[in-house]
Amino acid sequence: MESPLFDIKLNNLTKKFDSFTAVNNINFTIPKSSVTVLLGPSGCGKTTLMRMIAGLEKPTSGSIFFEEHEVTRVSTRRRNLGMVFQYPVIYRGTSVKRNLELPLLSEGLEKQVINDRVHKVAELLGISDSLNKLVEELDNGTRQKIAVGRAIAREPNIILFDEPITNIDINSKLELKRSLKELFGRLSQTIVYVTHDQTEAMTLADQIALMQDGVITQCAPPSEIYSKPGNQFAGWFLGNPGMNFIDKKHLTKTDSTVGAPTLFSQTLRVGARARDVAVLGIRAESVSVSTKEVSGAKPARVLRKSLGIGGQYLLDLDYAGLVIKVRVSHAMGREVSDKVWTTVDSDNISLFDENGVVV
Amino acid sequence: MVSQTSAKFEESLKERPKKRPDKNRKLSWLLLAPVLAFFALLNVLPTLWMLGLSFYDYTLTSYKAPTFTGLTNYSDFVKNEQLSASVSRTFIFLILAVIAQTLLGILIGVFFWKNDKMPGRRLALTLFFTPMVVTPIATALFWKLMLDPTFGVVNYMLTSLGFSRTDFLTSSTLAFPTLIVVDTWMWTPFMALMTLAALGSVPKAELEAAAIDRLPIWRQITSVIWPHAKFILMLGILLRSIDAFKTMDLTYIMTNGGPGDTTELIALSLYRFAFKSFKLGYSSAVSVFLLFIAIALTAIYLYILNAKKKAEQTE
Repeated sequence: MESPLFDIKLNNLTKKFDSFTAVNNINFTIPKSSVTVLLGPSGCGKTTLMRMIAGLEKPTSGSIFFEEHEVTRVSTRRRNLGMVFQYPVIYRGTSVKRNLELPLLSEGLEKQVINDRVHKVAELLGISDSLNKLVEELDNGTRQKIAVGRAIAREPNIILFDEPITNIDINSKLELKRSLKELFGRLSQTIVYVTHDQTEAMTLADQIALMQDGVITQCAPPSEIYSKPGNQFAGWFLGNPGMNFIDKKHLTKTDSTVGAPTLFSQTLRVGARARDVAVLGIRAESVSVSTKEVSGAKPARVLRKSLGIGGQYLLDLDYAGLVIKVRVSHAMGREVSDKVWTTVDSDNISLFDENGVVV
Repeated sequence: MVSQTSAKFEESLKERPKKRPDKNRKLSWLLLAPVLAFFALLNVLPTLWMLGLSFYDYTLTSYKAPTFTGLTNYSDFVKNEQLSASVSRTFIFLILAVIAQTLLGILIGVFFWKNDKMPGRRLALTLFFTPMVVTPIATALFWKLMLDPTFGVVNYMLTSLGFSRTDFLTSSTLAFPTLIVVDTWMWTPFMALMTLAALGSVPKAELEAAAIDRLPIWRQITSVIWPHAKFILMLGILLRSIDAFKTMDLTYIMTNGGPGDTTELIALSLYRFAFKSFKLGYSSAVSVFLLFIAIALTAIYLYILNAKKKAEQTE
């Protein structure tokens, strides 16, 4: 599907609702022809940001550019966007085919072109068999597919997705997510996708823009944002469980090294950064566990053991009052009883300063 | 083991609720009793009494005992040209008034809906809805005063603009349209309110999607607004129709059916038969006819409500 490719540039974008600042002075560029996921907890301003891009919400201050065209005051209909909403929006009393056709009819396209596009989109989304069905007869998952189909059939420059999977029943959820993943691979448009679900973000994004309190705190590809969180919030929000944080009182520092003697024996060579380190972050899977005593490893008491997704075990380990969460393989998890010895993979440790920003 | 346990569990489920419905049923009848008694006494009984009376020749002032005359009252009613004219006049009144009120109400409703951030919107809405909450008798009285040919404000304005004095309520050509205008003045706010409610039932996301999909306005109306708004709007039209069919206060106060019988609506005729001539048998027959029309309109009302419920269930 071809259409001109647009960067979306946000300059000093702010949106206030009375005294509440939903979006706070954001400067950000959403690169063309990529999938950017705005990820963050409820109320962080991600949906408001997307609605401003769509023109459904007016910014309090700042500007929005599609490539070099300023669109801040341009109406929604003139922005040439596609958008999929949180609740499946369908045009009632009509067939699936008619729903897909409606946006195309106003574009002044030839009948044959419309027909071709409708069939192509239906095929892409796997709803060809339902084309002649009334939309009311369909489940929410299929309805949302129709909404997606409507958004892409017109071949707009930019397509926005506002938590499209959130309100879909669990059975259709996985299938819809799979369809979207496949679809995003084929589309060349600039796609912005809002979600609070990190798995969704990890699956679909080319880059994740992590939002907190109306600000984008970090933007990076999924693997990078996970392994190298830019701040403590990113470390905590991504990952299940979130990153373990070891604060200052458990750390020992020299001019160029940092250690956490309660947890592990090694010292980390971090150079000049050592001066600023206030918090140390360790992912649950960065801790190696053994049930037999290992020289140089630290002993820990197992407080809790639970079976996690994919058969892995989650352990709550107590190091003389310091508790951290650790993920181990199924086999190891079964073996674990009340005491383990652990070492930490020092390459996968994150260091943060007093303000929670990575150093 | 498992199947046994689950079978036992299922049995226990079957057993448990048995006792409850009886208790509940008794209690529900007990709670319903006062309403049912009230309804039977004040609604069912008088209706049945009226139905019975419609087969009798019974005039209160004649000192004669009621005599059974079968369908005579009904055949008299059908043959009575004045009454048939009154019925058709009522329908014309109903159709014209409801159309005018609906069109104006939609226009005003859409205006307030589109301008939801207009300063003074609340005050404007409150003032605009005043006619609807004024007692119809009062409305009729002050319109009668305003339209008075000698000291009415309307004629004062007409003459100051250079027009001749017009007696709206005694002119055989103007009295009927004037009644429609006054009724429209009184009830347009109701239709505007229904329009606002109807438009309020359209999900915001669907309107936004229509803007995103760049649907032209007429397509927005047919594909997004109408499917949601139609139920409330049709209910409004129907309620207004039922009410317009019963219009009595306006004609009674403003024209008393005149001049001649140009503004004689069926409810006024019925009033005359029942409470002026005291022809109770005959007026009961007319009432039964009106009752059937009201039932027909109510049936449509219930049909629409049911359709709305069905549409909501498919969501």
